[in-house]
Amino acid sequence: MSARPITTVKTVVAGIEEAGAGIKLFTLADPDRWELPPFKPGAHIDLHLPNALVRTYSLCNDPADNTRYVIAVKREADGRGGSRALHDEIGIGDVIGVSLPRGGLEPQARIARYVFLAGGIGVTPFLSMVRHLERTRQADFTLHLIVREEVPLATHLGSLVEEGRIIVHRTSRSGRPDLAALVGEGGSETMVACCGPESMTDDFERVTAAWPAASVHIERFIAPPPVIDPDAKPFTLSLARSGAEIEVRAGQTMLAALQEGGIDIATSCCGGICGACKVGWIEGKPVHRDRILSPYERERYLMVCVAGSDAERLVLDL
Amino acid sequence: MLDTISAGAAQGAAQLGWTGVVRFLHLTPRAFLPMRAAETITLVAGKGIEGDRYMIGREEGFYSHKPEEGRQVTLFELETLVALKRDAGIELGPEEHRRNVTVEGVPLNHLVGRRFWLGETLLEATRLSVPCRHIEEITGKAIFDPLINRSGLNCKILQGGIVRVGDTVRNAA
Repeated sequence: MSARPITTVKTVVAGIEEAGAGIKLFTLADPDRWELPPFKPGAHIDLHLPNALVRTYSLCNDPADNTRYVIAVKREADGRGGSRALHDEIGIGDVIGVSLPRGGLEPQARIARYVFLAGGIGVTPFLSMVRHLERTRQADFTLHLIVREEVPLATHLGSLVEEGRIIVHRTSRSGRPDLAALVGEGGSETMVACCGPESMTDDFERVTAAWPAASVHIERFIAPPPVIDPDAKPFTLSLARSGAEIEVRAGQTMLAALQEGGIDIATSCCGGICGACKVGWIEGKPVHRDRILSPYERERYLMVCVAGSDAERLVLDL
Repeated sequence: MLDTISAGAAQGAAQLGWTGVVRFLHLTPRAFLPMRAAETITLVAGKGIEGDRYMIGREEGFYSHKPEEGRQVTLFELETLVALKRDAGIELGPEEHRRNVTVEGVPLNHLVGRRFWLGETLLEATRLSVPCRHIEEITGKAIFDPLINRSGLNCKILQGGIVRVGDTVRNAA
């Protein structure tokens, strides 16, 4: 019998490809090449790496390609260690546990045209979307790829660039493009989405502020800093299953308090956008500050990395 | 008086009268992976289904750390899938409920503690299955509440063999 519950999808590294510009493509598959849990275009997974690192990467392959998860990882020498571990330590045949895929865009029949804005390696969430749209032909799309000079994954994107479906903007030559001009006028049949550095997603938010929320999607690969309410008050977490009581200091995150209390919580972005630390709540008045839970989900779940409490006591399903 | 069910007509109890049929068969080798449809599955007495995650000795299921002989094979009613769509507007396919055998015409909730034939194999029902949040996580569908009290049956395998789609399910007297 297993000593511990199985909490991740077991995959093996079936392929590693050097894709230039410091990027490697990793192909993950089931050990028996069984079908993997399905994913939506633009979805991402957490990789549970050696040394207890948990890192989130976008899936780059077509969702119809159901026996592989392909991720593109740029080696960030000064990053938090996930990309270095993957580039330097992981080889073919290594076993990596991954989360169920999360997020992504549910393809909608009303959308006739997608405009994607990507900054550098921020192109990765759009690759599965682009492949899905190419295959299904259910909507037109244009991907504006803003790079300093070098195009990431150039060999994989070449044909789409030639066809004019990917338009490359090199800031080293022509400066930063006007995002408002790129997204255009919009309309109910158009959806725009952006992924890139925070300054770019902030600009994008401003440019699309008047658009209907359902027509705008932002994918952040750097979690925004946690929102700490200056008026925050301390509260008590009551854990229904273990019976433990944990004090959360004013301004402290629920996650930090739980970890201090020795509670093992899976985390990744710690900014309320990835969904790894979703926990059920039973009683109290949670303050939701995440960006992913639906109103229905918020009736039962919260994200301990960003959520707070409007009451002195909050009971969690832990 | 409700601790046991009286044994038969001699004591004035109703006899269950039913004959059902196997409609779908599914298995998967590991936790979280999609269930794959099969035309036949092989049941091994006292162990489980060949190739399935809960086969004793394999231990690759979500609940394998909580071993239970009734997890050797699990059943689900086709009628529940129909009811989910009718009453809750939720379309749940037979590959999504994550039990191994989808049957029609079998009153699973009445069979706890009883023996019955699944094709050529003999099963003993140990308990009702209960819904779990895990299945909501996998399917992305809010099916926990609608499946309470009708999420299938856990069984141990007394006599193994091959089970085929279309096989008859009947009481073992």
